[in-house]
Amino acid sequence: MASSDERPGAYPARNGAENQPPGDPETMKTVMIDKGAAMMQSLKPIKQMSLHLCSFACYGHDPSRQIEVNFYVHRLNQDFLQCAVYDSNSSKTHLIGVEYIVSERLFEALSPEEQKLWHSHDYEIQTGLLVTPRVPELVAKTELQNIAKTYGKFWCTWQTDRGDKLPLGAPSLMVSPQDVNMGKIKPGLLKKRDDEYGISTESLKASRVDIMGPERKNPMADYWVHHGKGLAVDIVETEMKKLAPFP
Amino acid sequence: MEKAVHLSTKNGPKVPGEPTKTGTSMVDTAASAVQSFAPINQIHQHLCAFHFYAYDMTRQVEAHHFCGHINEDMRQCLIYDGPDANARLIGLEYIVTEKLFMTLPDDEKKLWHTHEWEVKGGFLFMPGVPEAIQRQDLEKVAKTYGKVYHFWQVDLGHQLPIGLPNIMMAVTRDGQLYPEMIKETEKQFGVSMDKERESRAYMKGPDHGIHPLANGGGKGLTLEVREVDIKPVESVPRVFV
Repeated sequence: MASSDERPGAYPARNGAENQPPGDPETMKTVMIDKGAAMMQSLKPIKQMSLHLCSFACYGHDPSRQIEVNFYVHRLNQDFLQCAVYDSNSSKTHLIGVEYIVSERLFEALSPEEQKLWHSHDYEIQTGLLVTPRVPELVAKTELQNIAKTYGKFWCTWQTDRGDKLPLGAPSLMVSPQDVNMGKIKPGLLKKRDDEYGISTESLKASRVDIMGPERKNPMADYWVHHGKGLAVDIVETEMKKLAPFP
Repeated sequence: MEKAVHLSTKNGPKVPGEPTKTGTSMVDTAASAVQSFAPINQIHQHLCAFHFYAYDMTRQVEAHHFCGHINEDMRQCLIYDGPDANARLIGLEYIVTEKLFMTLPDDEKKLWHTHEWEVKGGFLFMPGVPEAIQRQDLEKVAKTYGKVYHFWQVDLGHQLPIGLPNIMMAVTRDGQLYPEMIKETEKQFGVSMDKERESRAYMKGPDHGIHPLANGGGKGLTLEVREVDIKPVESVPRVFV
């Protein structure tokens, strides 16, 4: 019915400026209602996001398709992080998915079938692809050392890089940049990001030589690298178990 | 009726892990002081509602949406299993007006659900906001369509987000949601869904009625994973170090 590795049928985009979803600008009334309500609500869970990371990810069914990603991270404890993922760090951005990050210890306790869905982070940190905008390296070091030993699971629900003006189709499983030809990030993409943030990936690499990956990198992670097979997701119709008629 | 399986989340298992070390949390404190959180700052609204699995209505979850407007016609929401600081991020939802929904290809429409009865029935509400103010926004929400994925099956007691994503659906008529789940939520947030229903009786759903393809087109939906061949990883020309 819908698959993460298929292009959806064409549809007319309305009012869509380049890269913006179709739709009218917010009315003043909407803005005022929202501001009024926001004053009465504490929004506690989202206030827990305390770290912004910028890096790159690749589509699990086609790692040659690469995107810049911006993670807003909530660390629940020393072993687990949950992240909202956007395609830029501006206010006019698209929520493109969610990533979960677990320590090596938690990862090793997962079943092999589950481990296939996860990716490692050491390469993207060691090569300076993953950055902590505005936070000096010296300050960020502890977190970078932590995250370099973790594994992540990233579902992407909006393929903005192929021009989708609305979130279409099935979620894609994403993978991380890796030290193989297809897993290396295209120079143009990297330069665009580095210019925007005023970063030199080369100097970051030099300052991160002592950052180590997991004690023992699990071969079930980064499944595509070791097995030459990507993972695509399909949505299939089935019978719904019901308590009452639906819809 | 089966034992309700909605009692997941508020007293659910803690996420496994050691307490955050001081050295680590200091980085996060420093970061939050200097970094820009522009996308997160767009989130300005908390909505509480209920979702069930698109292939299994008997599995129901209280879903806390934290939403921001992309524009007048579209919102994007992070979904948590509770309203507190330790809530788990379990999914996301996109909400569009009927105008945008109608531009979707037919196969895509099936993945979206309607909000009319969630709102008019009183099941969806904004914690902490007086009904008179909520109504001004919810009368718009009643006309919209949503697409929800959950990534963490907290209702099964999973300590970690394992498995594939799930498409979720929302209530479309009375008799679908567990009464005891509704009562617990009413008690926790000091709301009365009956009162909300009365005050929302004037609201209307989509102008063209509920699209027949929405809400799964009447079918259940589930996700499967499939291996695909990819080019040998070293076959891509080496153009840079």
